[in-house]
Amino acid sequence: MTMMTSTATSRNWTSLFSMSPERRSVLIAIAVFLGLLGLVDFVSSGPLSYFDISFLSSGGATSAIAAIGQTIVVLSGGFDLSAGAVISLVNVVLAQGMDPAAAQTSVVYWTCVGIGVGMLTGAFNGIFIAFFRLQPIVVTLSTMFIIQGLTLLVMDKPGGFVAPDLGTFYLGDAIPGWLPMPLVVIGVVLLAWLWLKNTRFGTAIYAVGSDPDAAAAIGVRVKLTKFLVYVIAGGCYGLAGVFISAQTGSADPLVGNPLLLSMFAAVVVGGTRLGGGRGGPLGTVFGAYILMMVVNILLVLNVSAYYSTIAEGTILILAVLAGSVSYSSTLAKQLRSAQAQFGAWRQGLLPSQLDRTDRRMKMPSSAEGKLVASSFLSRNSETIRYALPAYLCLLAVVIVTQLWLGRAILNPTYWNSLAVLSTFLAILALGQGTVILTGGLDLSVPWTIGIAGILLAGIVNGSDAALVYALPAVLLIACLIGFINGVGIVVLGISPIVMTLAMNGILQGFALVYSQGTPAGFSSPMLRWFMTGKIWTVTPVVPFMVLFVIAAVFLLGRTAFGRRVYGIGNGLRAAQLSGIAVGRTLILVYVLSGLCAGLVGVLLTGFSGQASLGMGDDYLLPSIAVVVVGGALITGGRGHYLGMLGGVLLLTALQMFLAGTTLPYATRAILFGLVVLGAVMALREKRS
Amino acid sequence: MGIGSIIRRAAACACLASSMVMIGHADAAEKHKIFLSMSFIGNDWQAEAANMVKAMAAHKDYADKVDLQVQVAGPNAQRQIQQINAMVQAGAEAIVIFPISPTALNQVVKNACDKGVKVFAYDGEITEPCAYNIAIDQEEAGRVTAEWLVKKLNGKGNIIAITGVPGTSVDNLRTKAAKEVFAKHPDIKIVGEAVGMWSQAVARTELSKILATRNWDDINGLWMQVGCFTANSMQLEAGKKPEQLLPCAGEGSNGGRIQMLPAGTEAEGATPPYAPMGAPRISYASPPYSGALALKLAVDAIEGKEVPKKTVLPLPLVTNETIKLCQEGTWQEMKDGCNAFKPSIVSNPGWFASIFSEKTPEIGLNAALVGQPEN
Repeated sequence: MTMMTSTATSRNWTSLFSMSPERRSVLIAIAVFLGLLGLVDFVSSGPLSYFDISFLSSGGATSAIAAIGQTIVVLSGGFDLSAGAVISLVNVVLAQGMDPAAAQTSVVYWTCVGIGVGMLTGAFNGIFIAFFRLQPIVVTLSTMFIIQGLTLLVMDKPGGFVAPDLGTFYLGDAIPGWLPMPLVVIGVVLLAWLWLKNTRFGTAIYAVGSDPDAAAAIGVRVKLTKFLVYVIAGGCYGLAGVFISAQTGSADPLVGNPLLLSMFAAVVVGGTRLGGGRGGPLGTVFGAYILMMVVNILLVLNVSAYYSTIAEGTILILAVLAGSVSYSSTLAKQLRSAQAQFGAWRQGLLPSQLDRTDRRMKMPSSAEGKLVASSFLSRNSETIRYALPAYLCLLAVVIVTQLWLGRAILNPTYWNSLAVLSTFLAILALGQGTVILTGGLDLSVPWTIGIAGILLAGIVNGSDAALVYALPAVLLIACLIGFINGVGIVVLGISPIVMTLAMNGILQGFALVYSQGTPAGFSSPMLRWFMTGKIWTVTPVVPFMVLFVIAAVFLLGRTAFGRRVYGIGNGLRAAQLSGIAVGRTLILVYVLSGLCAGLVGVLLTGFSGQASLGMGDDYLLPSIAVVVVGGALITGGRGHYLGMLGGVLLLTALQMFLAGTTLPYATRAILFGLVVLGAVMALREKRS
Repeated sequence: MGIGSIIRRAAACACLASSMVMIGHADAAEKHKIFLSMSFIGNDWQAEAANMVKAMAAHKDYADKVDLQVQVAGPNAQRQIQQINAMVQAGAEAIVIFPISPTALNQVVKNACDKGVKVFAYDGEITEPCAYNIAIDQEEAGRVTAEWLVKKLNGKGNIIAITGVPGTSVDNLRTKAAKEVFAKHPDIKIVGEAVGMWSQAVARTELSKILATRNWDDINGLWMQVGCFTANSMQLEAGKKPEQLLPCAGEGSNGGRIQMLPAGTEAEGATPPYAPMGAPRISYASPPYSGALALKLAVDAIEGKEVPKKTVLPLPLVTNETIKLCQEGTWQEMKDGCNAFKPSIVSNPGWFASIFSEKTPEIGLNAALVGQPEN
């Protein structure tokens, strides 16, 4: 408020507000980081020593280095889900390759091996994304499965040996007492980026991320740029893998997987915009360290374990909000437009306050009669082209199942199981799919499922009578969760990924507090019968599923809501200008996603007979995968629910086939990734 | 030389003296600062283990000796490394850990040991030699349960195997040991194998997938790390009678234990499938009391008592011959041989029932349920 009174400070403030958004968010990330560092210093016993700094710097280095790679991919408009898996792969390759008997180990050699393995996986991603024009999210998802399988083939359990030389080098001091080595490593990577950024290639990354068509038009080699981006990112993950090997002195095939989601959080907290074109790795590094310091703060403040995910989620939202405080932020815009709307309402100028006369342009009525309905095929050719591959692959999987295991095509149990097991993903696909159609992503699905299931089981506790009021109550809560997501995204302007990721953590905390760690209660007999009983050979949920699918197709294809969703996905600004209430529609979309996740929570509880914490964890990535495999565009605007349903059936049939074989898990993971990749190969865009 | 060695010895004496003074001081005025670093708390086992550790710390023998702080690392080994570092910084005397990875923590644990912190790992293992490990023999668990199943089937039949979390040592050791047993019996065939992630819900999904192309009648036995309760429920849904249930070697959840009781046993609060039905089972588990025992041993170690680096816990095994329902679940009652709890007290069938140890008279059923110690 003082900025109004003092011109000097006002100039400072305006310069902070008027500087480019990414620079501002980097500065804010640094400020938040320093603030947290001060807080740790303040609440912990002694003053921060060099030793503490050294500890902190090595603790966050792995995720910082990997997040730099992710940032570069995000800058180019991409998305890399394979990052965590690559870290694990490099870790086991190093541990498997090193000779414990060797007296000396070359740090340079093994670093190169690690970065090389990372770059190879990056090149694999890059080929499919750049040259085959496949969507990054589904390519990297497939790669993730394939790499996880490969990692388990290299090493099926934790162990192995990483030479201590590596640890001495990477965790030691560059200047003893002054500069720990991890900071130097990060610094070197950042310097390399700085150099790269100022080359033509660096400009090309930003150009491709901002607008690939425009970039291509001015002569940027879009394909090559995209390819190289993934290779470079792979190199960063490789280096992160080398670092974690040095840090742990051994290998664990699962070590990298949980790093994935926090990596995206680091990217966003650091001020890089998801979708590309804006931001940079410097902010990301601070983002990664901010997230890491939260651990220390929770420890010194002695926050109860149950509340830790709530605290983290809140910090994530606050950090992002702090980064977006400005005149042009969404929140500020919303406030101004609310003010304007209020003013208009007082003057009686709102459209809804005007008299309702039809002001539409008069169309010559004769034209209507002459319209010839085009054939079904030509009207739906695009939908069919994108939806068909999933169904063709499904057919192939069913045939293979029949040949390999027998008892598929003519076996009613097989089809019934397929339908029942598909239910969960099919319902999620409507929610997640609608969100994706608008260009968003809902990461709060796992714990919306979890909390819905836990609440339902807790309230119902085996009584059918209680189901009558428990079911609507739980679904209402799920809607409320979606509503809060929507409000955060629309009104506060938080990016969907951050908002829903934070929401997921907060819900997890609530679920833990509510259940005190062990969810009580169980599903009622009616609900259990609905999911597991049989009428002849059909489980009651199957006809419900058919109705659901019809309703979903109708909702997205035949209602005003559906048309608005596609409108927003195809161009938010255009949708706004054509009079679509974008905000209200978006909030409804997230409410729908919450409702679908809640419904899945209820049905899963019926299926398993009880609810468990983490019951939704296995459904997040598949819910995204089925939508994309079914022909939807992750950036929004394109996709049909029947296509997504095809994706659901395909993935479920594939899993059923793999479960029926006795192939080892590693092989199954690789096969799964390859089939998903093969399915989307058919979806590839025609050369325009 | 002479002077040097004298000085060194004097210095050593002073150090020893001062450290003894410090220990004495800590005993008199301050509590021992002990941290618990857990993995994900999102499952029944972890929650029970945490409750039992808290109950142990609250027991009258320990309440004025121990200041316990609990932190959760989630599934992320990086974060646990960070957490252990922070705990060392915060002045921990001992750290009790559920290790997310047996190897990834080695460096940070060694660092903690070097600073004089006692590090205790429960259930999982930390391979760094300075750490104290408290766990069951996972290979034994795999072997004994597989041998039981082979014997039940008279060495012949088709079985389904549901394993744990791929890539973990525990799953690897159990599955490998079991498969070695099965390999010795050529007439035992594993016809289906799936990853069960140690979760009843996942076990049901995976079994449903397998049974889409198979029939219960083609299967003679089940070897599962977690999921017998679910498998029995599914067989009942498929129209089997309780006496037709397949022999199942698997987890030590209370739901499974109740199903093992002879049909018709009076068990308050039982509703099918969470009810006595004489299901043919062997029930084993990694016992959730291991964390509490680790805390107890940690206090012993801080107080200078001799504690072995490796404590192998006896494998809790229950078969239809040894199953017995508890009335209240006190430690004393469990000592006399009961090993399953009434559904009216334990409403969650997935709750782990292997909570008894000779060595922990401080904690009983209430410790595992709500974190309350015995009197």
